[in-house]
Amino acid sequence: MATFSPFDIQARPNRIFAQMLSCVLFAVCIGLYIQTSVKRHHENSEDRVVPNARQLMSGIHSSVLEPAEESDYIAPDNASKWELFRHSMIWTDTVASGRRFLISLVLLVPAVLLALHIGLFPYFGAGFLRFVLFFDKIVALSLLPILFIVFGIDEWSKIALIVIGVAPTMILDVTQMVKAVPREQIVKAFTLDANDFDVAYRVIFRQVLPQVINSLRLNLKPMMLFLFAGEMIASSDGLAYRIAIMRRHMGMDVILPYVLWVAFLLFFIDLALRVLNRRMHPWFQS
Amino acid sequence: MVSVVNSQQEVIAVTPEVVRSTSIRIDGVSVSYPVGKKRHKTILEDINLEIAQGEFVVLLGETGCGKSTLLRMILGQERPTVGTISVGGGVVERVDARSGYVPQKYSLFPDRTVLDNLTMGPETSKYHILGRLKPGFRAFRRQVREEAMQQLKHMGLQASDADKYPHQLSGGMQQRVAIAQALMMKSSVLLMDEAFSALDPGTRKSLQRLLRNVWSETQPTVVFVTHNTAEALYLGTRLIVLARTSHSDDCGSRVALDMKLPGTGMSLARDGKEFLDLVDHVEQFSRGTQDETISPQGETI
Repeated sequence: MATFSPFDIQARPNRIFAQMLSCVLFAVCIGLYIQTSVKRHHENSEDRVVPNARQLMSGIHSSVLEPAEESDYIAPDNASKWELFRHSMIWTDTVASGRRFLISLVLLVPAVLLALHIGLFPYFGAGFLRFVLFFDKIVALSLLPILFIVFGIDEWSKIALIVIGVAPTMILDVTQMVKAVPREQIVKAFTLDANDFDVAYRVIFRQVLPQVINSLRLNLKPMMLFLFAGEMIASSDGLAYRIAIMRRHMGMDVILPYVLWVAFLLFFIDLALRVLNRRMHPWFQS
Repeated sequence: MVSVVNSQQEVIAVTPEVVRSTSIRIDGVSVSYPVGKKRHKTILEDINLEIAQGEFVVLLGETGCGKSTLLRMILGQERPTVGTISVGGGVVERVDARSGYVPQKYSLFPDRTVLDNLTMGPETSKYHILGRLKPGFRAFRRQVREEAMQQLKHMGLQASDADKYPHQLSGGMQQRVAIAQALMMKSSVLLMDEAFSALDPGTRKSLQRLLRNVWSETQPTVVFVTHNTAEALYLGTRLIVLARTSHSDDCGSRVALDMKLPGTGMSLARDGKEFLDLVDHVEQFSRGTQDETISPQGETI
């Protein structure tokens, strides 16, 4: 402790102290929130902007165990918790958003394969690379009105927004990875009598796959961003739709759990991808 | 220049030449590429070589003399600006399985275990990407795996190394596997580009010994690129030195010296003074401009 200085690069903080330090900002945030909440409730006991624990609990309860206002579902008297949860607001919203998210994730697979070909096959590179480079610079959200006109305002316009927003960046990223594979590897594969598709899929694709997954992990957030933008502008269900609706009557008791739930979901997907990556590719050292 | 070569050949006992078929033929090859407007940089100039089946050719030269370029052209990775190169009777136009290849780095597939690296060649050459679904594949794979294990032991690796990934092996071990991988294809030509240059002296020595043994067993045609004169003299049966005669851009490297070596593996320990003289002699050529005022320096061995 004697040598404690925050600006010492060569410092060796002990583990417990470092762990404690990493919790400090969380504690500060929660503390500030509680303080503000208490203060505001002191002035107005029905304050909805910074809900207190009781309000939050009832917000969580209503989102986890009660159907949404617009839902036609009426719970039978003897409905189990699970039954209630399955028709609850948060579950139906998560399913609606998750479906859009997963479909766009699947649609990114052809984009990755296209990138593999652009990076590896000279004619593909000549044909596609410049176009993708330009297309990447188009602000995807500015296309949203066009997408609404082309795909209508339901599902496909939102999915198209996510794919158009993320795919060009992914393609450029993966193309770079493919090009970064040492030339020796390709030459060696050809001397081992591989054909073009062996080289593309059994040598290069296998090698860049862990990097592709890492790139996808970085792109999870842009994907979510585009999804939320689409849902907030035109949608009748979904996580972002709920948050936008709740804003109208200051439903912070529902918004805050939703925000944390989305953060948790993203964190979980990211963690799952990271673990999967490490399990699948023990040879990969980032 | 010719007289010097001849006199040198008399010093070393020339191996009795058996008439053998040509394995690699390099016909009037020049390489140049444009730099800026209307200017060309010439790398290689009018190279004519005929390499017989079973020769161990060492390409020697200073950095940037184009020896690696020549190797890449034999491989098919690059094309000559003028002239043709043929391997095994056919003109080389693209990289194919006619030649085995061992580069200095990135020689193994990092995503495959040692065993998978070895079996990759035979497997892909017989069953391409979708052919792997055919019924005969599994039996064939088992057979190739056995063969690979034998090859692995032959290369001085343990059976326990088979399941390791390349990054878990030392540099020397990796190159042993890379040689084994190339040998699994049983191609008659083996091309090695500075294959041992990144290794420490001890490992290097043992790999040189290994390579000589492998060569004497199956007698493939080997083209070995190096900048180390001692290595060249130890390994080769034929030494080709590439050097440029002047440093202007339009002057490429030519064959400065083409001589037979005894093929018994010359080294300082065995040949002493004769070896040192030969090193001096060869390095005079590889420096290109044969400037006698520079005192000859023997390379550290």
